[in-house]
Amino acid sequence: MGHTLQILILGLCLGGVYALMACGLSLVFGVMRIVNLAHPSLIIAGAFISYWCFTLFGIDPILSLPISAAILFVIGLILYKLVFEKEARSAKYSEMTVLLTFAVAMVVDGALGAMFSNTQRVTSPDYATDAFFFGTIFLPKGQLYAGLISIAIIIGLVAFLRYTRLGYAIRATSQNRAAAELLGVNVNFVSLISFGIGVGLAGAAGSLVSFVFSFFPAKHWEWIAILMSLVVLGGMGSVQGTVIGAFLLAVISAFVGAYAGATWSTMTFFVALFVILLVRPQGLFGEKPEHV
Amino acid sequence: MSELLRVSGVVAGYGSGPAILNGSDLTVEPGKIHCIIGPNGAGKSTLLKAIVGILKPREGEVVFEGERLNGMRPDQVLRRGIAFVPQERALFPKMSVRENLRMGGFVLDDRVELQRRIDEVLERFPVLKERADQLAGTMSGGQQQTLSMARAMLLRPKIVMLDEPSLGLAPKIVQDMFDIMKMLRDEGATILLVEQNAMMGLKNSDWGVVLDLGRTLFEGPAKEILSDPRIQELYLGGRSSAAA
Amino acid sequence: MSDTSTQNPDAVADVLSAREAYNAGLARSGARGRSWTVAAIVLILLIALPALQFVGNYNYALHMALYTLMYVAMASSWNILGGYTGYVSLGHNVFFCIGGYVSGMILAKMGVSTLITAPLAGLVAAAVGVGVGTITLRMRGPTFIISSIALLMIVRILFDNWGYVGGANGVTLPVTDLDVRWAKIPYYYAMLVIALLAVVASYRIKHSKFGLGLRAISQDEVKAESAGIDTATYKVAAFAVSAFFVGMTGAIWGEYLTYLRPNIFLIILVAAYMVLMCIIGGKGTVTGPIVGAILIVAFNEFFAATLGASEINILATGLIMVLVLLYFPLGVVGTLAQKGRLPRFLDWD
Repeated sequence: MGHTLQILILGLCLGGVYALMACGLSLVFGVMRIVNLAHPSLIIAGAFISYWCFTLFGIDPILSLPISAAILFVIGLILYKLVFEKEARSAKYSEMTVLLTFAVAMVVDGALGAMFSNTQRVTSPDYATDAFFFGTIFLPKGQLYAGLISIAIIIGLVAFLRYTRLGYAIRATSQNRAAAELLGVNVNFVSLISFGIGVGLAGAAGSLVSFVFSFFPAKHWEWIAILMSLVVLGGMGSVQGTVIGAFLLAVISAFVGAYAGATWSTMTFFVALFVILLVRPQGLFGEKPEHV
Repeated sequence: MSELLRVSGVVAGYGSGPAILNGSDLTVEPGKIHCIIGPNGAGKSTLLKAIVGILKPREGEVVFEGERLNGMRPDQVLRRGIAFVPQERALFPKMSVRENLRMGGFVLDDRVELQRRIDEVLERFPVLKERADQLAGTMSGGQQQTLSMARAMLLRPKIVMLDEPSLGLAPKIVQDMFDIMKMLRDEGATILLVEQNAMMGLKNSDWGVVLDLGRTLFEGPAKEILSDPRIQELYLGGRSSAAA
Repeated sequence: MSDTSTQNPDAVADVLSAREAYNAGLARSGARGRSWTVAAIVLILLIALPALQFVGNYNYALHMALYTLMYVAMASSWNILGGYTGYVSLGHNVFFCIGGYVSGMILAKMGVSTLITAPLAGLVAAAVGVGVGTITLRMRGPTFIISSIALLMIVRILFDNWGYVGGANGVTLPVTDLDVRWAKIPYYYAMLVIALLAVVASYRIKHSKFGLGLRAISQDEVKAESAGIDTATYKVAAFAVSAFFVGMTGAIWGEYLTYLRPNIFLIILVAAYMVLMCIIGGKGTVTGPIVGAILIVAFNEFFAATLGASEINILATGLIMVLVLLYFPLGVVGTLAQKGRLPRFLDWD
């Protein structure tokens, strides 16, 4: 029983981090129908920012999170302007952007690899290796902090989407772009800002990832499938759905990991992705049915 | 007679494609329901899109209260007082009724005023008030159409343009929609609608416009158009149905 | 004719010839005949290439030719699915891996050369392709692309942890007894044959009823289906054919390298190359993948020689892909064809 609770708690902490990693992806897909395969590589870019802030200046990764988020937000704006704005008018937009983001992922991967080499790294503030103990149950401080901060950021994001004017505009654009435009929403600006926020969230997630997981530039390929499984499970484009998907799969994979070994815990996500896509063959990307 | 909106000699088409409108004219007078009829592909919807700025007229003029609208963006036209409800209703399915109404007033900067108007609209449409927190995507077709119209009224536009409000609705519901339009008209609104079902549209309107091949063939009181034998023959499905 | 022609025969003739010329311009280029001569010359040169070994050590040239031929085969196969059918797979190297391991393990355990078992490797890859395709080809657009990446990750984990095939460390294969001078030649010819078969298959498919069905699917799957095309079977068949040739190249490549290891087959770069070669050469054209393979291999060789690091290589490949997608989406062959300037020897569409 204690063992089960232990695994559950670890799964929930990781679930929070996964949720933050994936919700930027979900936001960008919702608003722009861009499946951003470069998202995980940008998370790793964020992780490197926090890693170097810690290694060079001793700045705690939790404190460098806003720096990383801000830098990545700007990178997101630039990427959108350079790469995706032009494609927004193309006929095979959705498919085209997948290839484009794939290529961007290679660029980020290659650039990070060339600068910092493909060795495993981890940011190690004191709490990353410490834990709280409650009887036989232990709570690793790093994962706990990361999970809580992730949840706080996601709550902030949801509140922003729900209650601010820009948030309304973002939700409206993701649900019906043409109608939003007719009602006076500047959809191009909304797309730009949403992309920036999505990538900025990758930066924030990266800071937390830097002390929760070990990372190296090429690791993002593994994360693509992991994050996609969360996003697809939660219903593409829905931030809340993604969060639920993240907690669910993180807990399942924690149990798989505990009973079958760490290798298979990663496999959980890939298999889940396949199964979900199989059960809903139109994919959760499928065109939404007409409302009559 | 005063005129609110005048369209003269408008030529327009999609992208670099052929012109769909080849010199359409239209006059909209305040306080009336205007109905544009015509066969498929006549350019009815295109005309509304050209007025609202989704398409840029290549030639001709769109003048609203003495101001040229040519070349304005849809939101600029909206701010000047022309609301447009497109064919596909254009609701936000995962937003509640209240949130959809709030989007209708997106260009309003005064939040207090916006809230006041939302309450006002909800009062006026009890159907919507009952469902204020229901998601728009889960409502019936008639309710969705009502919400679209209510949302368009939020900015208190001088003209409401509706593209085929009856599309996909049961006949009884369609009549409800026209009753709402008449109610809005009696409160002083001006309405311009496009209707595939010409008989139905004209019977419920004050003014009729017959459009074909991108040109305005006929403009006049709806009753006159209904009784014109040529128009009956060509656009109203022959004499037999016109007599009904 | 007798009545009208009396009026102004010259003018009528002028108009008629102008119309003929115009119609000829509209007609698909297939009518202007194939450049069999150029194809034959290229093939003869490729067959004769190993003769260089009689006059000196041209192992490097031979290696580059073999490597290029391998990618010609892989890109052409990818094109059958990704170009004609419009299903972009970013995990196609899975079949490269399966082919490599099937033949490679037979070689390691029983000593039978992959030169003999390559067709078997291709068949196994095709069979796996049928299985996987039956599941994943039900998804469309971006969903399919993501499922192909997921497949790649799953297979990578399986091979990294499968003790029988050596896990992540892989298996060492016996080295050929041939003298260094001749050692590459059997593999070179094997790759040449596979590349030739893949290109011929690609050409024959494009001009068959099957190929027409595939192209219809890529344009509009619902319409294709309502036109009576059994889209499910067509797609799976395209996937299987595509996997077959990729599997064969994997078989030869394993023995040629003398070892099997997941990270030579299952790295994302191999999958990216197949996609990029097709796009840069011209997705959906017969000669596009050939042109693309030559360009990318040459470019990589230039990079490896000047810059070295594989990270830079990934960076450059990604950058080229972005630029090509944005500014050159039709590729070399597609762009030339659109401008009506495609040389006859590249026109097999």
